[in-house]
Amino acid sequence: MFPLQITRRDSATGPVLYVTGDLDHHYAPVLRDQVERLDVKAGQCLVIDLAGLEFCDSSGITALLAARQFAQAAGADFALAAVPDNTLRILTIVGLHRIFTIHPGSNAV
Amino acid sequence: MAAMDVRRRNNITITGRADGPVVVLAHGFGCDQNMWRLTVPALAREHRVVLFDYVGCGGSDLSAWSRQRYSSLEGYARDVAEVCEGLDLERVTFVGHSVSAMVGVLAAQLVPDRIGALVMVAPSPCYIDEDGYRGGFTAADIDELLVSLESNYLGWSSAMAPVIMGNPERPKLGQELTNSFCATDPDIARVFARTTFLSDSRNDLKSVTVPTLVLECSQDVIAPREVGAYVHAAIPSSRLVTLAATGHCPQLSAPEATSQAVLDFLSALR
Amino acid sequence: MMCLTGEEPESTLGENEARHGTEQDAELDAAFTVLLEDSAEELYESAPCGYLSTMLDGTIAKINATLLDWLGLRREAVVARMRFADLLTVGGKLYHETHFAPLLRMRGELHGIALEMTTAGGGRLPVLVSSVIKHGSEGEPLLVRTTVFDASDRRAYEQELLRRRHEAEQARAEAEQARAEAERARAEAERARRQAEADRAELADALAALQQALVPTSLPVVPGLETAVHYHTASPVRLGGDFYDLFRLDERRWAFFLGDVSGKGPQAAAVTSLTRYTLRAAALLDPEPATALTTLNAVLHERYAADGDPRYCTAIVGIAEPAADPGCITIRLASGGHPPALLLRADGQTDFLPTPGGMLVGALPTAVFTTAETTLAPGDTMLLYTDGLTEARTGPRRDSLYGEAALRAFAADLAPAGPQQAINALTGLLTSFGDGLDDDTALLALGVPALGSQTRPTPDGT
Repeated sequence: MFPLQITRRDSATGPVLYVTGDLDHHYAPVLRDQVERLDVKAGQCLVIDLAGLEFCDSSGITALLAARQFAQAAGADFALAAVPDNTLRILTIVGLHRIFTIHPGSNAV
Repeated sequence: MAAMDVRRRNNITITGRADGPVVVLAHGFGCDQNMWRLTVPALAREHRVVLFDYVGCGGSDLSAWSRQRYSSLEGYARDVAEVCEGLDLERVTFVGHSVSAMVGVLAAQLVPDRIGALVMVAPSPCYIDEDGYRGGFTAADIDELLVSLESNYLGWSSAMAPVIMGNPERPKLGQELTNSFCATDPDIARVFARTTFLSDSRNDLKSVTVPTLVLECSQDVIAPREVGAYVHAAIPSSRLVTLAATGHCPQLSAPEATSQAVLDFLSALR
Repeated sequence: MMCLTGEEPESTLGENEARHGTEQDAELDAAFTVLLEDSAEELYESAPCGYLSTMLDGTIAKINATLLDWLGLRREAVVARMRFADLLTVGGKLYHETHFAPLLRMRGELHGIALEMTTAGGGRLPVLVSSVIKHGSEGEPLLVRTTVFDASDRRAYEQELLRRRHEAEQARAEAEQARAEAERARAEAERARRQAEADRAELADALAALQQALVPTSLPVVPGLETAVHYHTASPVRLGGDFYDLFRLDERRWAFFLGDVSGKGPQAAAVTSLTRYTLRAAALLDPEPATALTTLNAVLHERYAADGDPRYCTAIVGIAEPAADPGCITIRLASGGHPPALLLRADGQTDFLPTPGGMLVGALPTAVFTTAETTLAPGDTMLLYTDGLTEARTGPRRDSLYGEAALRAFAADLAPAGPQQAINALTGLLTSFGDGLDDDTALLALGVPALGSQTRPTPDGT
């Protein structure tokens, strides 16, 4: 088990959240809570960087979907970056790889 | 109440001439039927003499005692009524000493058919001076007696130590006290004392319609002569006889004179 | 000592010695005489206790100086003027008249009776009194002799004992009260505990009723098809997010589904219930599996996504009907984001039935679902499962996932296997995960009995 850690960086194109650890039913509400406090403006792009993601279950996917919905409601774009293979596999299984904009590399500096 | 039950409960003794007129002798506060010991032989010659102990006294069944019942004189009067009913006695002459004189008045109200005459020995309907009535004591005097009794030392010293030490053999102790000393359980004695000395039965005197003998002593601290006169005046059907006797217990200090006065009264009844 | 004065000198002594002895005796006698001026009268008056004699009516005839001194009274004020009872407190008088005097008359003597006397100064003197009646030669009572001892110390000691007894009784009463209160508290706690147990039992009954709304208690018997299930809930109240069902559409066709709702526990169970009955209704209206999923997608999205609380599920919905080949069953199914079914063929071959690209159900306003079809021949078994199985954490540190590859390898070792045999083996596998299995898990296996197999369909609701 890896406790979830979320750090934020504001880039020119919009906020970037770096998620490390497990995104499971225990920690997913933390991500949702962080996202809902973001100030995302129309035309920006909210990016969630999953390079440090260890595990993602259906709760985590729910949180990612909620983040996407949050950004769309603000008139912003939404993207996932550096999705680990196992999570990408899950996203593929559930058909979400066609929904999410997925950046291959990490936004980490 | 069945005859056997009341005989045992009230430690009833029956003596004298079986077909003679019935005389019931009732003791007062502080002792038991032994009080009548010196008068019984004279009375028993021509009469059937019934002696008993109130519940809580002498050889009575202490387990039948209850604080509620024996906290009023009526409780003692019910003992008298139940003795008469249990033995199916009718038209008896009830001889009550001290507080029992007033118990007899109340018993005559409960079972009027069974009590044909009253002898009141050293009676007092009220022990406390009040509004021109002279009972012989002030309320403070009675309080002192009750405090004395309730602080449980008056006369109980020789029995104190085992009681204080929490002797669990209370019945045995009570038995011993009864045998050695005319006394009962101090808790029961306190209730009897309070009932006796705080009672005011003056209003009950006028209910008496049967022939009554008021027997007073010439020198009695507890029932002064003023009280005897008061009782005699309150009961129209009464005679007053003053015995040349000192103290509150003429049946002990002047047994012959006492029994003769009673016999004279009894013969006048016929 | 009295007898010493009358003693004769020893006659065997010599004259001188005798005379000498006599002189010595005379000196002794003189000394004794001084001492013995303590005559009987002196002894009576100054004895360390009080003496008094009374007539039968109580009138005081004689009283000693000691008692007069204690009481602060003058002899002439007492003798022939006062009665014994007059020396007593009022309480003492009453006691004397009701107890002391009658008993003395009856017994002739009394010993150690506690009374209180009043002193001239108004004080009280606790005393112990003993009295004896003196009788005349004819046995007639003449007078009463009484001794009086100062009992102040003894009475104080008794008072102290009484005080301590009252204290002890009070302490005992308080202890008893405390004990009674503790007992009441204990009884109250016991009542509360029983109530809690009753509440818990009631809740368990309610949960059991709700749980039956989520998954069937048993599977129906399907002609030509053997079925087996296993259902594991991670939730302690056994309300899970996984679901399955199997039910008849018409004479030939049967519908089945198995899925996984996002989340866990009671919240997930609410979605599960909605999902199950939506799929049932949808399959009855239109037996095309993908259509049922589309209907479900619309229902879930409408219900939850609008609230900003997306709830969704993954599911495989299928229809089973007799194939053209006798004894074979055709399976048509559609998947919405669900792990692929696994086929255990009669010849031992084991493969997933791929349904890639089917999307989560309820997550998005519109979703596409992937369909697949296969035929189960005798001895073939199809396994549906939820990701509780493939995402169980394994390894000593519980840090790797079991995965689809391992599942396929496990099944390959098993095949060929009938539904119940497969479920039994997989149940054992789940047990072996221990605390690595922290999600709900549902397993549903459908199979055509192998030719010549004695195995009968065994519906199993466990």
